[in-house]
Amino acid sequence: MHELSVALSMIEGIADSAARDGFERVLAVHVRVGALSGIAPEALRFSWKLASAGTLAEDSTLNIEDVPLVVFCERCGSERKPRPASGLICPECATACPIIVRGRDLQLVAVEVPE
Amino acid sequence: MKYRVVSIEQNILRKNDALAQGLRARFAASGTLVVNLLSSPGSGKTTLLQETLARLSRRRRVGALVGDQATDNDARRLAASGAPVKQITTAAECRLDADMIGRALDGWEPGRLDALFIENVGNLICPAEYDLGEDLRIVLFSVTEGEDKPLKYPLAFNTAQLALITKIDIADAVGFDRDAANASIRHVNPGVSILETSARTGAGMDEWIAFVETLIDRKTAAREVSVR
Ligand SMILES: Nc1nc2c(ncn2[C@@H]2O[C@H](COP(=O)(O)OP(=O)(O)O)[C@@H](O)[C@H]2O)c(=O)[nH]1
Ligand SMILES: [Mg+2]
Ligand SMILES: [Zn+2]
Repeated sequence: MHELSVALSMIEGIADSAARDGFERVLAVHVRVGALSGIAPEALRFSWKLASAGTLAEDSTLNIEDVPLVVFCERCGSERKPRPASGLICPECATACPIIVRGRDLQLVAVEVPE
Repeated sequence: MKYRVVSIEQNILRKNDALAQGLRARFAASGTLVVNLLSSPGSGKTTLLQETLARLSRRRRVGALVGDQATDNDARRLAASGAPVKQITTAAECRLDADMIGRALDGWEPGRLDALFIENVGNLICPAEYDLGEDLRIVLFSVTEGEDKPLKYPLAFNTAQLALITKIDIADAVGFDRDAANASIRHVNPGVSILETSARTGAGMDEWIAFVETLIDRKTAAREVSVR
C-alpha cells in the first residue's frame, strides 16, 4: 500500500545514479521484491507509471524479480521455503525457523540506459 | 536500441533506515525510551496507551505520537491522560515512517521524555518494514483475531520484542485458545516476550507497566553513562 512512496524512492535512487554514472534516460529498471516486503508487484507497476512520468525514467519498463520467502531451518541444517501463509515453518520437518534468509528484499538492482 | 546496464544495488528503504538511525541517536542523547506499537485496526492500541499514559505519568515523563489516517479521535482520547500527545495525520499512507516522526518532533516541545509511545497505523504488513528509531517494537493482537494471526503476518511478529495479547477479559466468551496463540507466536519468534492484558479490567497491566519501567530505567542509565 506504500508502493507510490517506494516508486518515488526508486526515482531518487536512479537520479543519484544518473549523476554518478552519466546517463540521461532510462529504458528499463530492475528491482527485487521479497514476499515479505509488503509490496504488491501489480501495485508497484501502477505506481511506477505515475512516479516516473516526466522523469528520466518515463516510459521505462519495470522488471520485477519476485523473491520467495526463504528461512534457515536449524533442525534440517538447510534453507527452506515455507508454504504460503504458514508463517516461518519448515515444510520438511515442521520446525519454527525464525531466521529469515530472503524475502524482505526491496532492492533497486540496475537500470538499462542507452549506449 | 543499444543499451548498457548500470548496476545500482541499493535498498530502496535505505533513506528511511538512515533517518531512523538519526532518530535513534537523538533519543539516545535524551535518554528517551521509544516504543512502536503495531497491530491491526481495533486490537486495542489506543485503549492500552490511554491506560498506560494515565498510570505512568504519575511518576514518569511520557508522551505519545499517534498515526491515524483520517481522524484525530485517538489523539484526543490519549490527550485526556494529561500527557503530551501529537497526532500525525497519515492520509493515504498505510504506515508511519522515520521522516514523519522527525517532522512531528520538530514542531513539538513536550520537554525531555522518559518514554515516547508511537501508535502506528492499524496495519500488520507495511509498518513492519519501517524502522522508526524505536528501542522496543510491540505487536498487539486481541483474543478475537484468530490464534493463527502471527502465521499470516510473520514479519510483524518476527521483528517485535514483545507480543501483547489484548482484551483478555473476553477470552472465555470468544473461546480463545491460549496454547494455540502462544504456539503460533513462538513459531515466528521463539524468543519474544508474551504478555496478556486487558485495558478494560486492568488484568496484566501491572506486569506491562513494570516491563516498560524496567526498560525506561535501563535507557536512562545508559544516557547517564554516556553523559559522564
Ligand atoms: N473487552 C475489551 N475491549 C477492549 C479492550 N481494549 C480495547 N477494547 C475495545 O476495542 C475497540 C478498539 O480499541 P482501540 O483501542 O481503539 O484499538 P486500536 O484501533 O488498536 O487503537 C474499542 O471498542 C475498545 O473499547 C480490552 O482490554 N477489553
Ligand atoms: Mg487507535
Ligand atoms: Zn526443517
